[in-house]
Amino acid sequence: MASTLRPYLTCIRNTLDAAMCLQNFPCQEVERHNKPEVELKSSPELLLNPVLICRNESEKCLIETSINSLRISLKVKQADELENILTKKFLRFLSMRAEAFQVLRRKPVQGYDISFLITNYHCEEMQKHKLIDFIVQFMEDIDKEISELKMSVNTRGRLVATEFLKQFI
Amino acid sequence: MAVTAVHQLAQCITCHAWSADRSMVALCPNNSEVHIYRLVEDKWEKMHVLQKHDQLISGIDWSARSNKIVTASHDRNSYVWNLEGSEWVPTLVILRLNRAALCVQWSPKENKFAVGSGAKTVCICYYEQENNWWVSKLIRKRHDSSVTSVSWHPDNILVASTSTDGKCRIFSTFIKGVDAKDPKKESRFGELIVQLDLSPSWTFGVKWSPSGNTLAYVGHNSVIYFVDDVGPSPLAQNVVFRDLPLRDVLFVSEKMVIGVGYDCIPMVFAADERGIWSFIRYLGERKAVSSGSRYGSQFSEAFGKFYGQAKQGVSNDASETSRTRGVVHENCINSIIPLSRQGTQIRRFSTSGLDGKLVMWDLETEQDLLELLVH
Repeated sequence: MASTLRPYLTCIRNTLDAAMCLQNFPCQEVERHNKPEVELKSSPELLLNPVLICRNESEKCLIETSINSLRISLKVKQADELENILTKKFLRFLSMRAEAFQVLRRKPVQGYDISFLITNYHCEEMQKHKLIDFIVQFMEDIDKEISELKMSVNTRGRLVATEFLKQFI
Repeated sequence: MAVTAVHQLAQCITCHAWSADRSMVALCPNNSEVHIYRLVEDKWEKMHVLQKHDQLISGIDWSARSNKIVTASHDRNSYVWNLEGSEWVPTLVILRLNRAALCVQWSPKENKFAVGSGAKTVCICYYEQENNWWVSKLIRKRHDSSVTSVSWHPDNILVASTSTDGKCRIFSTFIKGVDAKDPKKESRFGELIVQLDLSPSWTFGVKWSPSGNTLAYVGHNSVIYFVDDVGPSPLAQNVVFRDLPLRDVLFVSEKMVIGVGYDCIPMVFAADERGIWSFIRYLGERKAVSSGSRYGSQFSEAFGKFYGQAKQGVSNDASETSRTRGVVHENCINSIIPLSRQGTQIRRFSTSGLDGKLVMWDLETEQDLLELLVH
């Protein structure tokens, strides 16, 4: 299982390196406005082909780019019902605090668990390779976090059950 | 090294332009102002701040002989600034655009300037003596998408423009009363001379060679296009390079072009005797990757190793993730402006980027490039 993680992350890193070539671009549709074109999708010539990188059926990453913005959507591995609930709650917790992350999108794209929206302003303020490091690090940490949460839920459940059933011994 | 000076003048520089004697530079620090700095004994002093625009200034050009600055902004306006005494006085130019202006350039004779816009049109402005103001004429033939860059041919009539629809179009901007009538070339204003559909992706950074014979522009698909003998039967070549796309180019001579972009290092392209263009090397590393480096500097060896690894597809260690190249610019370079001319060749130029640095480069120290230049 771990053997596919490295190539998966390297592939995402290289794709992001190429996709994160963003520049300031004022809106063609509305005057004096500057909107992320990947969200607006009003001018098809400003959008590039989306790239879907799949590690297996349950884990994938969709990268959509445009001239001034980039959207990365991740689907995290969820093996059983418990992981499903934990992932949903954990990622919703993060998404609700999207302002603190700056590059996070408040709602994930349909069909995915979490989405990032990176605009040219982020590339101007922050360094591109650091942003890519952040995304890749995030993906690695997510898996670890979810397994830790699952383990702590199971441990807690076992402790509580033991204590409760002691009274019947 | 080719770099002669590095100046951190702002957090992020959108565009810059030099005065005629190269003592002052006007730049936009990613907001709606133009800051003019003067080099006073090795330190940069902010001399003037030009505040008139409401939104980001996307293009600045400083005319050499008439000493006027033209600025174009995302707020659909353009101002021509004249130095009166010690103050820069703006004159509004009614561009009649309904979208942002994206780029601006003075014509070689400095009696006209061209503005490319998000309204998919190119606007040519000239000075009307009777009414004492700048009049704009829109080129009727529209592009299919925003015009990203404009460049004047040395004859002051032709203008090349690139757009995010992937095409490069060359228009004639002959204006009666402003341009002298040329018996050889009969052209009307706004006539489309050539449409070059070479790139499947967005195109930026169009420039003419010093004689006007060759045109170069870049596409976002990491290709640079060279078009010789622009006219009814142009000869086009494209050079595909390995890394990230370019944003702007500069002809340092008839046969050498420097390109700058998302790689943060200038790239040198040259044409050989047969006229075939190819990538020579980066400015700032000594030799190309696989061949052994004669200079043996540690930097270039480590650099070569990194690229060697990347080519073989060996994934880097998780901790050593960032591409630390030890190069001068830390973020995308978005403009390259010539500094000094020797005849038709440019030996020194400056680049500015999103990292807020203004870097001066000199080709005098690059022996192999000088040999190609002299050719």
